[in-house]
Amino acid sequence: MMQKWKWPLLPGLCVHSGLGLLLMALPAKADPAPPWREQARQQVERTAYSGRLTGQTLAELIGKGEMLFTGKLSSLDGVGRPMATQAIIPTKRKRPPAKTFHRTAGLDASSCAGCHHDPLAGGAGGFAVNAFVSEGFNNADFDSTDPQFSNERNTNHLMGSGLIELLAREMTLELQTTRRQALRDARKTGQPQKIDLVSKGVSFGHITATPDGMIDLDAIEGIDSDLVIRPFGQKGVMTSLRQFSVNALNHHHGLQASERFGIRWTGEADFDEDGKRDEISEGDVTALVVWQATRQPPVQLVPDVVEWRAAARKGDTLFDAIGCAACHKPALPLNSLIFEDPGPLDTAGTLRRSDVQTPTSYDLGRQEWAERLARNEKGQILVPLFGDLKRHIMTDRQVAGLGNELLSQRFVERNVFQTTELWGIASTAPYGHRGDMTTLDEVIRAHGGEARASRDSYVGLSLLNREALIAFLKSLVIVE
Amino acid sequence: MTRYVLTRAWILPVLFAAIASESALAQEVGTSPAMDVPDLQEQASLAGIEHRYNGPWEYFVGGGAAAFDCNGDRLPDLVLAGGTAAAKLYLNRSPTGGALKFEHKADAIPASAAKKVTGLYPLDIDNDGFMDLVLLRVGENVILKGGPDCSFAKSNREFVFDGGRNWTTAFAATFEPDRLYPTLAFGNYVDRSAPGSPWGTCHDNFLFRPGGQDGQPDYSEPQALSPGYCALSMIFTDWNRSGEPALRITNDRQYYRDGQEQLWRVEPNRPARPYRAADGWKRVQIWGMGIAETDLDADGYPEYALTSMGDTKLQTLDEEAEDNRPAYQDIAFERGATAHRPYDGDDLKPSTGWHAEFADFNNDGRQDLFIAKGNVEQMPDFAAYDPDNLLLGQFDGSFYEAGKAAGIALDRRGRGAVITDFNMDGLLDLAVINREAPLSLFRNRGTRTAYGLRPMGNWLAVELQQDGVNRNAVGASIAVKSGNETRVRKIQIGGGHGSGRLGFLHVGTGTAERAEIRVKWPDGAWSQPYRVFTNNFVVIRRGAKTARYWYPAEE
Repeated sequence: MMQKWKWPLLPGLCVHSGLGLLLMALPAKADPAPPWREQARQQVERTAYSGRLTGQTLAELIGKGEMLFTGKLSSLDGVGRPMATQAIIPTKRKRPPAKTFHRTAGLDASSCAGCHHDPLAGGAGGFAVNAFVSEGFNNADFDSTDPQFSNERNTNHLMGSGLIELLAREMTLELQTTRRQALRDARKTGQPQKIDLVSKGVSFGHITATPDGMIDLDAIEGIDSDLVIRPFGQKGVMTSLRQFSVNALNHHHGLQASERFGIRWTGEADFDEDGKRDEISEGDVTALVVWQATRQPPVQLVPDVVEWRAAARKGDTLFDAIGCAACHKPALPLNSLIFEDPGPLDTAGTLRRSDVQTPTSYDLGRQEWAERLARNEKGQILVPLFGDLKRHIMTDRQVAGLGNELLSQRFVERNVFQTTELWGIASTAPYGHRGDMTTLDEVIRAHGGEARASRDSYVGLSLLNREALIAFLKSLVIVE
Repeated sequence: MTRYVLTRAWILPVLFAAIASESALAQEVGTSPAMDVPDLQEQASLAGIEHRYNGPWEYFVGGGAAAFDCNGDRLPDLVLAGGTAAAKLYLNRSPTGGALKFEHKADAIPASAAKKVTGLYPLDIDNDGFMDLVLLRVGENVILKGGPDCSFAKSNREFVFDGGRNWTTAFAATFEPDRLYPTLAFGNYVDRSAPGSPWGTCHDNFLFRPGGQDGQPDYSEPQALSPGYCALSMIFTDWNRSGEPALRITNDRQYYRDGQEQLWRVEPNRPARPYRAADGWKRVQIWGMGIAETDLDADGYPEYALTSMGDTKLQTLDEEAEDNRPAYQDIAFERGATAHRPYDGDDLKPSTGWHAEFADFNNDGRQDLFIAKGNVEQMPDFAAYDPDNLLLGQFDGSFYEAGKAAGIALDRRGRGAVITDFNMDGLLDLAVINREAPLSLFRNRGTRTAYGLRPMGNWLAVELQQDGVNRNAVGASIAVKSGNETRVRKIQIGGGHGSGRLGFLHVGTGTAERAEIRVKWPDGAWSQPYRVFTNNFVVIRRGAKTARYWYPAEE
C-alpha cells in the first residue's frame, strides 16, 4: 500500500498513493530508523500527544497511525506470538504452533490494511480476507473452517468509526443515567421503578429498579447487561477502537500491546515469548485509534444518472415505508465531536481514561469532511450511519440465512447481530457477516427474526420497487 | 485422591528455589513488583472510629472484628471486640467510592455481653434473614440474635446454648445436611483453673450440633473435642473435595504439651473424631494463631496459610500422598510467603503472626495474603516493631511483600482483621484490630502514579441468596471463569483470628471485562452459568435464570 520512501530527496515526507494524501511523517525526533528498515512499528510516546491536538501535531499522529495501519508488519516489529494465543485475555499456549502464519487461527495478516482495503485503506474486504473469530481459549490452533471451531467473519470497513464510537459513548451515558435515575427514584419513593431504556430514539427495552438498589434486567433488549453500547464487531461486542485495536494486533499479527499484555497485567514484558519486549506502546495504539477515528464517513451519493437518481429517491422512500429504517436508522444525532482517547468506557486491559493523567483529544469537527455532516434544529450532528447500534435476532424458523454460526461470541447468541451500518454499503460487497452473499437482494432476503416483516415486505414489492431500493442502497458509498 | 502432579523431575525444586530466592532478593532490596501496589490509607479517626482492644493476659490473644450488613443497605457494618473494654458496633455511612465513614451505635451490643469479648463472627443462625452475632468471650460465650436496624438480643437461653465459662478464642460454623441450623464449633485456649496452668492445660474445644425446629435452635448437646491444644483459629474446610467439611484447628504450642495441629472428621450424625497419623495426618507443631484458606490453583483442594511466631506456613496437599490422606507440604518458602521476620526496620527477630486472610487487593486476579503482625506483649525474643504483611500474589505464583509500599507498616500490634469493600468502590479495604492501640482502618484508594491515584484491575462482587435454611449460603463456593482462568472463592465462617465477615464475595479479574460464574451451593448442587460483566456487584439467587446487579446508593 505504501510507496517507497523518497529518501533522501524528500526527507520527512510520506506519500500515500491510495489516499492521495501528503502527510507529514517521521520528523527527525520521532524515528531514527533508516527508511529501508523492514518495520512499521512506531513506538509512539503517548504523552507527547496528550491534551487537545490540533494542526500539525494531530496530522503527525494521524500519519503515524496510518503508517502502522498500512505498513507491512514484520518480525522486527514483533510479529508472532509463539507462546500466546489470539485470546483477548492474555493466554499462554502450552507449546508453539507449527506455523507462525495460519489462514484460520492466525496470524493471518501482514497489515491492518491487508484486509481493511476495499475501496481504500480503512475499508472493508472481500471473502478472501475473512477472519476466523474464536475465543482463543480452547482449540486456539484450529486448522479448519468448520464453524464448530470459529465464526467466519467478513471484514468490516472502518470509515466514520470515530463518529460511531462517539455515538455509542453518548448513548451509554444516557442509558446509564436513566438507570441511575430509576435507582434514585426507587430508593426515594420506596417503590419499584419501571423505566424505558431509550437513547437517540433507539429503544433497548426497560429495566425495573427496586428500593434496595437492585436492577431487574430481564426486559432489556439488544444491549449488554451493564448497559454499555459496544458498537464494534458484527456482534457489537467491542467497546472502543482502542479495545478493538489491541485485540486485533494480537490476534492477526501477534503484536502485543503493553497496556494489556505488558508487565502490569502479565508480569512479563514479552508475554508471547518471541524475543520482542513491549511490542506496542500506548502511543502506538493511540496513533492507530486517531487514524481510524478520523476516517471520513461514507456519504450518500446523488447519482449523476437521472434514472438512478429517481430510483434512489424512490428507494429511499420505500426504505422507510417497508420498515428497514426501524433498525437501519438513517441518522443518529451526536452532541459533540470531541474524541477523547482513552475513552470513558474501557476497563482494565485496555488503557482507561483513569490510567492517564491527560488523555489525547481531538475535534473531529475540524476534519475537512465534518463540514458536510448535516445538523438538526438542536445543532446536533446527524451521523448518517443507517444503523441503531443495537443487537437483534436475525433468524427465524423459515429464514435463517444469517444463522450459520455455531458459536456464541462474548455472551451474544449465534443468531444475534448488531444492525449493520449501511453507510458505505455500496462500496463494500460482498454482504452478510460471512461475506458470502454477492448481491444486496440476497442479503435482504436473508433477514429473518426481528427483520422478518420488513424482509417480507421487500420480497412482496414489485421488481421495479425492489430495484429502486437497491438503487438507493447503491448510493451509500465510501469516497476517497 | 488423584491430584495433578506437574512433574517429579529434579529441576522443579531448583526452579522453585530460584523463584524463591529472586523473590526474597526483591524483598530485601525493595525492587518494585510488576503489579499494582494498592495505596492503603489509614483513616480510622477520620472515619469516626476510636477503638482499642485492651486487657491483661487473657487479652494478649483475641482481638477480633466482624463485618456484615445489619441494616439492609448492603454496606458492611463493623463490630469490634474490645477485650476488657466494651465491644462496639459501627454503622457504615461511607459514601460510595469516598472516604470511609462510620457511626457508633451505642446501644447495639447488650451491655451484659459487650465486655470480655475476644472475637466475633456473623451468622444467620435461625434463618430469619437477620444476621446474628456470635461473641467469643473470656467467660460465657454469647449468641446475639439479630433483628431490624442492627438490634441484637442475647439469645443463649432461646437457642438453648450454654456459653460455658471458658476462655474462647476460635470459632467456625457449617451447615450439615438435614439440619435446620448451623453446627457451631468453639475453640478454647488455656484452662486457667486447671492445676499447673497455663502450661499443658489447654481446654477442650466444643462442637454444638443443632436440634430444634420452627426458628428455635436447640444447642443443648455439645460434643467435647478432646484433646484441645489451645486453639486460636478453626475453620470448616472441604479439604478432600468430598463435600463434607472437616474441622481444621490451629493450636498454640506455647501452652500445649505433646499437642499439634488438628483436623477433625465431622461426619453427619456421627461424633466428630480426629484424623490421626494412621490416616496420613502429619504432626505439625507451631504457635498457631490464624488460618486462612484459599484455592490458589483452583483444583478444588484448598491451600492454607497458618500464622505463627516465625515462619508462616503455606500448606498444600502433598503431591506424593496417597489418595484421601490429609498429608500437607509447606510451600511457603518457595512461594516467598514465610513472612518470618519484619520487612521493615532493623529488628531481625522473628515475627508474630495473627490474622491471616487471602484477598485480591489490587484486582489483578491473583490472591494476595494479608497477615496481621504484632508482639504478644513484650516477648524479648520476638520483634517489637512487627508491621502487618501485605503479600501480593505475583503472576509466577510467588508472593511479594508490599506492606510498606502499600502504607500498612504501622508500629502497632495487630490481632484480628476484616478485609472488605467498605465504600463499595470495588477495592478491598482493611480494618485491623490492634492490641492496646487504635484500630487501623485502611481505605484502598487505588494505586499510586506520578500524577496521582488510578484504579487497578477489574473485579466482581458476588452475593449469594437461597431460601430457607442457610440463607447466606455459608459453605458455598463460586467459580468465576474468564478465559482459561478460573478463580474460586468460598463463603466461610471461621478462620482468621477471632474475625469473620459475610457479604459480597470479592473477586479480582485482572484484564477480564466479563466472566461466567457458577455456584456450588452448600449442598453440593451446581448452578447454571451466569454471564456477568465485571466491575459490578452481582446478586445470584438460587434457581434464578439470570444474575442481577446491585448498585450502591449515590449521594
